[in-house]
Amino acid sequence: MQKIKNQRSKIKIVVFLIFKFLILNSALAGELSAQLTTKVNHDHIKIDFFYHGSEVNVSGASAPGTDIVIKITSPEAQQILRRKGKAAGLLWMNVGELEFDRASNLYFLHSTQKINDILSQDEMDRYVIGYPALKKHIEVAQVNDEDEKNRWFNEFVKFKELSRLYAISFGQIILNQTESGQNYSIKLNWPYQATPDEYLVTVYAVKDKKVVEKAEARMVVEQVGIVKTLANMAKNNGAIYGIISIVAALAAGFGVGMIFRKGGGGH
Amino acid sequence: MYFYLPVALTSINSFMTVGIGLIVGILTGIFGVGGGWLITPLLMMLGITPTVAVATGANQMVASATSGAYAHYKLGNVDFKMGWCLLIGSFFGGFIGAGALKILTAMGNADFLIKITYVILLGIVGAFMLMDTLSKMRRRHTGHYERGDSKPAGFLKNLPLQTYFEKSGVAHSLFVPIFLGGIVGILAGIMGVGGGFLMIPVMVYMLRMPIHVVIGTSLFIILFTSIEVTFLQAYTNHSVDFILAVLLLLGSTIGTQIGVFFGKRLKGEHLKLFLAFILLAVALQMTLQLIMRPSVLLAIAGSH
Repeated sequence: MQKIKNQRSKIKIVVFLIFKFLILNSALAGELSAQLTTKVNHDHIKIDFFYHGSEVNVSGASAPGTDIVIKITSPEAQQILRRKGKAAGLLWMNVGELEFDRASNLYFLHSTQKINDILSQDEMDRYVIGYPALKKHIEVAQVNDEDEKNRWFNEFVKFKELSRLYAISFGQIILNQTESGQNYSIKLNWPYQATPDEYLVTVYAVKDKKVVEKAEARMVVEQVGIVKTLANMAKNNGAIYGIISIVAALAAGFGVGMIFRKGGGGH
Repeated sequence: MYFYLPVALTSINSFMTVGIGLIVGILTGIFGVGGGWLITPLLMMLGITPTVAVATGANQMVASATSGAYAHYKLGNVDFKMGWCLLIGSFFGGFIGAGALKILTAMGNADFLIKITYVILLGIVGAFMLMDTLSKMRRRHTGHYERGDSKPAGFLKNLPLQTYFEKSGVAHSLFVPIFLGGIVGILAGIMGVGGGFLMIPVMVYMLRMPIHVVIGTSLFIILFTSIEVTFLQAYTNHSVDFILAVLLLLGSTIGTQIGVFFGKRLKGEHLKLFLAFILLAVALQMTLQLIMRPSVLLAIAGSH
C-alpha cells in the first residue's frame, strides 16, 4: 500500500514539474515576444530626379542573449531570365530562357553572427534564411536534375549580387545591452537598383539555433515627380511618349546644327 | 552629378553619359555610321539593360543624325534623291527581313546563324574595304591609275528610269538603289541592326558615290531608320528612356558637329581606311564576345 502511495506522489511530482516547465517556457516565450520590436527609419523612399540610392536604418529591441537576423525581401514573383550557353559547342550566346518561381527581386540578409552558427538548417529552411534555404524555396523550371538547379541558382545569385540586389553579411548589426534586454541596429546602403516596390523587413530573434520570435516592418519605395510622370507615360502612352522623344531629339539636332552653323562650324 | 532614369530604373553619372554621347557623336559625324554598335555595350557597362540601351541609343541617334545630316547638307554632302531611293528599298526590305526572321526563328537556332552571318559579313566587307583602299593608295603612290574599273555592267545601263544623281555625280536606273536598299533592308531586318554598316559599302562600291556624299546621305537614311526604331521601341517595348536620351544627345549632337568638322578635313581614302578599321573592330569585338565565356550566364530577358 505504502509503495503505491509513494509511486502516486512520484507521479504527482513529475506531472508538477512538467507543468512548471511548460508554464515557465511559455512565460519565457511571452517575455521574448514582448521584447522584439523593429523599426525602419526610412520606410518611404521617394525616387526623384536626383535619387542615387538611400540609407536605411533598421533598429529595435530584443531579449537579452538572443542573436538577430534581419531579412529584407521584395514580393515573390516569377522571374524570367535569358540563359547563355555554348551554341553548336563553340560560341557563347543566348540559348533559351529560365523561369525562377517564388523568387524575390531583392534579398538582403544580415545577422549578428555567421548564420550557420546560430540557426539549424531546418529553421533556416522554414523561414527561408540564407542561400541554401532560398535555393530549396525557389523553383527553377526547365532544369532536369539537382546539379543543374544548383548551377543555375548559383548563376542567379551571382547575377543578382552584381546588380546589388542580393546580399548576405554577418557582424554588421550593432548590439547594445540595456537593463531590460538589448538594442540592435544596422545601417544599410539602399541600392538605387532596387525598383519601386513594397519591401518586407523581417527581424528574427534567435536562440539555441531556433527562431524564438519574429517582427515585421514594411518599407515602400516609389517614384515621385517628373520620374513618375515619365515612367507612367512610357508605360501607358507609348505612342505619345515615342513621338515626344523623337520630336525632342529632332529639335535638339536641328538646334545644335543651327548654333554651330551660326558659330561658323559649318559652311 | 547623378540622375535617376525613369525607364531604365537606375541612377547614372551624367558626365559619363554626356561623354559617351560626345564620343559616339564624333564618330557619327566623321564616318556617318549609327553609334548603336558602340553605345549599346557602353551603356550596358553603366548598368543599363540591353533593351533600354538599344531603344534609347536609337532615340539619341535621331538627334545625332539630324545634327550631322544638317551639317552635311550645308556642306552639300547629302544626295536626297539617292537617299529616298535607298530608304524606299530598305523600308520594304525591312518587312521581308522581319518575315524571314520569323521563319528562321521557327526553324530554330536562328540566333546562331544570324550572329555568325553578321560577323562574317562585317569581316568580309571590312577586309575588302581595307585592301581595296590600301591598293588604291599604293597605285596612286606609284602613279598607276586604272580607269573605268567601276562602270556599271551593260544590263544595268539598259534598265528603265535611268537617272542622274547630281550630288553623287553618278547615273543609275532608279531601280538599282531601290533594289540595293531592299537587300540591305532585308539583312538589317533579319539581323536586327540599323544597316548603316552595310549601306555605306553599298553606296561606295556598288553605287560608286564619293565618300563624303556617302557619309552625308548615310546620316540622312539613319535619321529615318532611327525614328522608326525609336517609335516602335517606345510603342511596343516601352524601353526608351527619355532622360538617358537627353543626356546622350547633349553630347552626341555637339560631337557630331565636331566630327563633321574633322571629317571634311580628311581625305576620302583615309575615311575609307578608318571605316574599314571600324568594321573590322566591330567584327572582332563581336567575335570575342561570342568566344569568351561571359562572367554571368544569365541576362535579363529581351536582351541580345
